[in-house]
Amino acid sequence: MTDVRAPESDPFDPAAERDDPPRPGPGSPGGGAFGLADWLKWAWRQLTSMRIALILLFLLAVGTVPGSILPQQGADPAAVQQYYVSHPGLAPWLNRLGLFNVFAAPWFAAIYLLLFASLIGCVVPRTFRLAGSTRSLPPRAPRNLSRLPRSAEYVTTLPPAAAAAVAAKVLSGHGFRLRRPAAGEDAGATGETGPGNGHWVSAEKGYLREAGNLLFHLALLGLLVSVALGGLFGYKADRLLVQGQTFADTTSALDEFHPGRFVTGADLARFTMTLNQFTASYISTGQQRGQPSAFDARVTYTEQPGGPARTGHLAVNRPLSVDGAKVYLIGHGYAPVFKVTDARGQVVYDQATPFVAGATGNFLSEGVVKVPDAQPDQLGFTGVFVPTAANVGGTLESVFPAADNPVVSLIGYAGNLGENAGPAQSVYELDTAGMKRLTASPQALAPGQSLKLPGDRGTITFTGYVPWVSLAITHDPGQLPALICGMAALGGLLLSFMVRRRRVFVRARASQPGAGENGTTVQVGGLARTDASGSFEAEFAALAAELKSAHEQAAPGEPAVSPQPEGE
Amino acid sequence: MPVNVALGHLSNAFMIATLIIYSLSVFAFAGDFAFGRPRRAAAVRGQQEARDREAALATVGAAPGIPGTSGSAAAGTAAPEASGGPGDPGVPAASGGGGAAGSMPEPAVPAFRAIRAAGRWVIAAVLLSSLGAAAHTTTVITRGLAVHRAPWGNMYEFVTALTCVAVLFFLYVLIRYQVWTLGVFVMGSIVVALGLAETLIYTAPGDLVPALQSYWLDIHVTAMTLATGIFFVAAVLGAVYLWTDRYTRRVAAGQATPGHGIIRRLPSIEQIDRLTYRTVVFGFPVWTFGVIAGGIWADQAWGRYWGWDPVETWAFITWVLYAAFLHARATAGWRGRRAHYVQLLGFTSLIFNVMVVQVFIAGLHSYSGVAG
Ligand code: HEM
Repeated sequence: MTDVRAPESDPFDPAAERDDPPRPGPGSPGGGAFGLADWLKWAWRQLTSMRIALILLFLLAVGTVPGSILPQQGADPAAVQQYYVSHPGLAPWLNRLGLFNVFAAPWFAAIYLLLFASLIGCVVPRTFRLAGSTRSLPPRAPRNLSRLPRSAEYVTTLPPAAAAAVAAKVLSGHGFRLRRPAAGEDAGATGETGPGNGHWVSAEKGYLREAGNLLFHLALLGLLVSVALGGLFGYKADRLLVQGQTFADTTSALDEFHPGRFVTGADLARFTMTLNQFTASYISTGQQRGQPSAFDARVTYTEQPGGPARTGHLAVNRPLSVDGAKVYLIGHGYAPVFKVTDARGQVVYDQATPFVAGATGNFLSEGVVKVPDAQPDQLGFTGVFVPTAANVGGTLESVFPAADNPVVSLIGYAGNLGENAGPAQSVYELDTAGMKRLTASPQALAPGQSLKLPGDRGTITFTGYVPWVSLAITHDPGQLPALICGMAALGGLLLSFMVRRRRVFVRARASQPGAGENGTTVQVGGLARTDASGSFEAEFAALAAELKSAHEQAAPGEPAVSPQPEGE
Repeated sequence: MPVNVALGHLSNAFMIATLIIYSLSVFAFAGDFAFGRPRRAAAVRGQQEARDREAALATVGAAPGIPGTSGSAAAGTAAPEASGGPGDPGVPAASGGGGAAGSMPEPAVPAFRAIRAAGRWVIAAVLLSSLGAAAHTTTVITRGLAVHRAPWGNMYEFVTALTCVAVLFFLYVLIRYQVWTLGVFVMGSIVVALGLAETLIYTAPGDLVPALQSYWLDIHVTAMTLATGIFFVAAVLGAVYLWTDRYTRRVAAGQATPGHGIIRRLPSIEQIDRLTYRTVVFGFPVWTFGVIAGGIWADQAWGRYWGWDPVETWAFITWVLYAAFLHARATAGWRGRRAHYVQLLGFTSLIFNVMVVQVFIAGLHSYSGVAG
């Protein structure tokens, strides 16, 4: 269809409809000396050609693939570590190519930046051309309208000049832009002679098609800018909150904080939030037994320090907006409560400890308990929380995600937790290097039950459990612009697909003397370019019928001759 | 609300009926290929096309100032009744344009008359497909009533619904453009897809996980289902195009004999091309909308509108490939065969997303409802 960069005064010009014309390149003969400026011009022309745009689109699609096949640093760093372990030879190479972080890799940026450069180079000149073409007139009517994809012909008793005037009135009533012959223009231009050849109307409509296409491409550009805006000025943070706990939204209270390039902890929304209660319900029967059916977290929050306390609900798909940030419920789990008494009989630990559900399903969760204050040795436990325990072939398994029959199973250690040396430890891992295992096999406890540690080291009691939720706190200033650009892109797309640029021509000629008719032959022809919606045929038929009846009404007396639409 | 088991069974029964009726319709379409009579509608279509081609030729052949001779030559051979007279100068270039490039010639015969004129086999095929489509729609609706939600929440339901969209859309295309001979390909593919869904991924009616309970889910997945159904038809048409194109080129190269029985009865290759293009053009904005709605949903569920989750990534790849198809049709050296390969690649990535990524590549979207 259109190569828009071809010099094009008229978008219907077949020259512009043809393929990229061969352009002089560095190697083309007769080019003379090819200087730097010529090279740059040539490179720019190449970049903004449809062919390169197509190749870049392809590259974009292909370049995205590894980002979905390989684990990505941004989405799942643990999986990347795992990949290093399982493919020690390959992983460093993939890393060097940026394949673990495709969407931030320089080569990926190169593809889309080139694509958008191409888009600008393609779209901006097009905008100017569109502005120009909305001021220019449609072309003259071709001589033989029956050659056009749509045509019709009939006879009227009106004289040719009057017939053309009536047709012009009908067409302009439909919002067409018109062109009528200037004095003496027609005969001179097409070499026609004879009386009455100069009566025609050219009409054109549908300039919005190009405008829609432009809007679409420019909106894509805007989308890229919006995404960049979010990346530079937004942030994303995570926080695990046990039922009953309160936290203030500061960097020190957050488990994870991923600020954009121009964001610091001082830009965080300054709210505090308490998790009052969290409930999860599960389907208890049928094939989907165990699937969650509803989550609900009741929270109390203050928008500003010292501000009034409000209550709210958090649910999946129902974030809470607080002070410019949004808080999402993205996960949940169980935090068993343990009470540990050491050898001296002192309570050295009494709190809820978040356990994290593993991949095995039904919320079989793992966690650790670290008791640094225990005497004489520090104590540590690795544990498994089983919400609905059942003995399956000698091993403890969870058969339902709700806590219907909660059991914890613990292995105790005594010694040095190693917290004072080395890098900061994860709260979900126990470094047992400096510790002695106290129990040979895991000990299962129901709520209220205690485990007496061997060697009079004290007891640990499983007193109960509370739920926890994980919250995502995000702020993205590019969000609204991105939505607007997305909608604009869609609108532009629909406009460019539904509006057709179309032309209708009318010619009125005095009928040949002796042909049996005495009157005026009216020829109507029409064509649409890129008629993707395909309804020009119907529109043309309706217009032709309307023109004919207008001519009949304007004609004095005589019944009109029936039309002879062609191509039927 | 609990699942309505009786309605669920009813839906399953309608599904079996749908499969049987569709299979019969494929049989009838095939019967038309084998025994159908040559028909008037085709002749009319041929004339209209000849006229369109001639119009295109006339304008291409006639540069401004040069009297076009190719135009009148074409007029003389292809469509004598349409020509204004031999020896006409060509239509001035400015008025020509690719009028035929994007527009679809429509047969002038009204639909019902055309079906009657097309013979017994076509009547049977159209009736059976319509009856099957009614049963299919009932399958989807009763399933929705049984589970009290939009019935495209897992992969089995998704395939059932998208094939329903594909059939309804194709019936419209079939009747509007009277392209009877394409029926055997499209309906045949539908039967295969539905049969595979029924045997491999059947999922009993059930509730959704809460992450999926949102009206943006309904909007997003509805759009994706609609677009996929439309792209399904485009993919079958694209495959028919490539097959016809290959045959045409082999004939040109002397490797095949012209007049292949099946190909001769198909619509012209230009018409298949346009039909495919128009189908993609119809599906592309729907897909675009679906991706946007998905972004809105992702934002509500996970706090970001786009996160390169594998499923999102493949939706993006699909979108880019279809955009590449639309571009390829406007690029020298790419229109025709290569453009259609791009289109099929786009559909492949769409199916890969549904069948492989959602099932085997863990991501936030893993809700296919298929065990394993
Ligand atoms: C970000 C990447 C791009 C995407 C996703 C994209 C997408 C699209 C789509 C969907 C269409 C069809 C709409 C229509 O026909 O009106 C289209 C048309 C078009 N695009 Fe792009 N485009 C991109 C980049 C470009 C670039 C870089 C150029 C210039 C070199 C370009 C030039 C065009 C032109 C000229 C058309 C109209 C073709 C016709 O007349 O059918 N696009 N584009």
